[in-house]
Amino acid sequence: MTALVLALAVNGLVWGLIIALIALGLSIIFGLLDIINVAHGDFFMLGTVFVLVLTMSTGSYWLALALVPIIGFAVGLVLERVIIRPTIRQASLTIVTTFGLSMMLQEGVRATYGAQPRRMAPPIEGTIPLFGIDYDVYRIFAAAFAALCLIAFFAFLTRTKLGTWIRAVRHDPETATALGVPVVRICAITFGLGTAMALLGGAIAAPITTVEFRTGVDILPFCFMAVIIGGLGNLQGTVAAAVLLAVLEGVVTSVTDPTIARIASLGLMSVALLVRPHGLFSGATR
Amino acid sequence: MTALAIENVTAAIGKIPVLRGVSLKVAPGETVALLGRNGVGKTSTLRAILGLLKRTGGTATFDGNNLDDVAPHKLSALGMGYVPQGRGMFPLLTVKENLTLGLRGAPDPEVMADIYRRFPRIEERLSQAAGTLSGGEQQMLALARCLVMKPSLIMLDEPTEGIMPKLVTQIRHEISEIATRGISVLLVEQNLRTALRLASRVYLMERGTIVHEATPAALRADPSTVHRYLGVSL
Repeated sequence: MTALVLALAVNGLVWGLIIALIALGLSIIFGLLDIINVAHGDFFMLGTVFVLVLTMSTGSYWLALALVPIIGFAVGLVLERVIIRPTIRQASLTIVTTFGLSMMLQEGVRATYGAQPRRMAPPIEGTIPLFGIDYDVYRIFAAAFAALCLIAFFAFLTRTKLGTWIRAVRHDPETATALGVPVVRICAITFGLGTAMALLGGAIAAPITTVEFRTGVDILPFCFMAVIIGGLGNLQGTVAAAVLLAVLEGVVTSVTDPTIARIASLGLMSVALLVRPHGLFSGATR
Repeated sequence: MTALAIENVTAAIGKIPVLRGVSLKVAPGETVALLGRNGVGKTSTLRAILGLLKRTGGTATFDGNNLDDVAPHKLSALGMGYVPQGRGMFPLLTVKENLTLGLRGAPDPEVMADIYRRFPRIEERLSQAAGTLSGGEQQMLALARCLVMKPSLIMLDEPTEGIMPKLVTQIRHEISEIATRGISVLLVEQNLRTALRLASRVYLMERGTIVHEATPAALRADPSTVHRYLGVSL
């Protein structure tokens, strides 16, 4: 029993790190642009579909994995210009527009890729013994790669000029403008980055999940819970909350079932909102 | 020859007009003060010059450039510096990140050396979060951040607001020092004595427009105007 709990906790950790990447994208978009991006889960879904299609057409998952975030960044830039910028700073309107975008992405994928759920073979075969069970090597790789991407993103934010500008614009776009920061361009780049991170999350997760047009629907509430529990706009908090939630769900699933696990996550979010309304990790650097 | 000239500038926040035809000029190397009670449009005038508040009418030129043709984020590269009210710190960025935020490349070593000489406490705290500095240190950092960009005009919004009296003298000295280097200064200030001491010309504002222009000497000799528009006595 203990071995099963530990194995599911590790599984939760794997998912938590992938979801942290996606939730981080949601969080930077919210923190900078005040956009509640209801389509963010569908960006994840696009990542799973693109990596599958690109792997089939190029024959290489690794090439597809490299291409998907670049495509995601470009898609994000176009969507920011066409859909987000005209409604920016109007939070309620962005919910409506991103909801419309979500519908368009789902139906667009259903119309072109099809409605049939598909599975993708993991690019790294094999298992390793872990707490008494055979655990997929690819899952370990996925967690490590997601963690590496998270570290790289935080290094980018803190060690590059562009990252410093993003942090400055998050705090005070007006003063940043007066100091010469191209705020409009920074907002577009941030939306592109947030989108790219969701697609990258999808590309990493595709071999361990189902690839279909509604994959993002399940991911979105989990990402929102991570953002809320971590503290709105708190990037480190979002990552910590995503891992915490996924491990919690993994452990609870081992003793009951996934529905109870999701209820446990919602319970944690409710408690967090009651006890620390600014997020469990609101003291962390934002 | 003027460094900055605005003529009949109008602006609104939502549907409420906040500037109703503001005209003022700042000559190269001149220090000009813009005074008025709270809410008369002083900060809005600076924001309208910077393009942070949309100008709905009038003209604005800076060093011969029509500001309608210049994106707000490009003004600092033209030489327009701004120290906002409340200092405009990015509290979670380090002192160094704040200081060099507007620079595209490496900072000019000579300029940095000059800044560290004038503000030694900034150099001591480069890796510290700006939010941990005292109000006075933050004001020094805001001034230094502006000077790093080698401006030809600096607009200062209430630079002595909320600062310990001991440090007000130092800030006044720094502003006066800036002016001696040939940098134009447009100063919005509630502290009348500070404004009159630093400026060579003073504009008085009321209800979104300039209502009086005078030299500090003329204003000192006209206490009724001071009382009427500023509600204080000299």
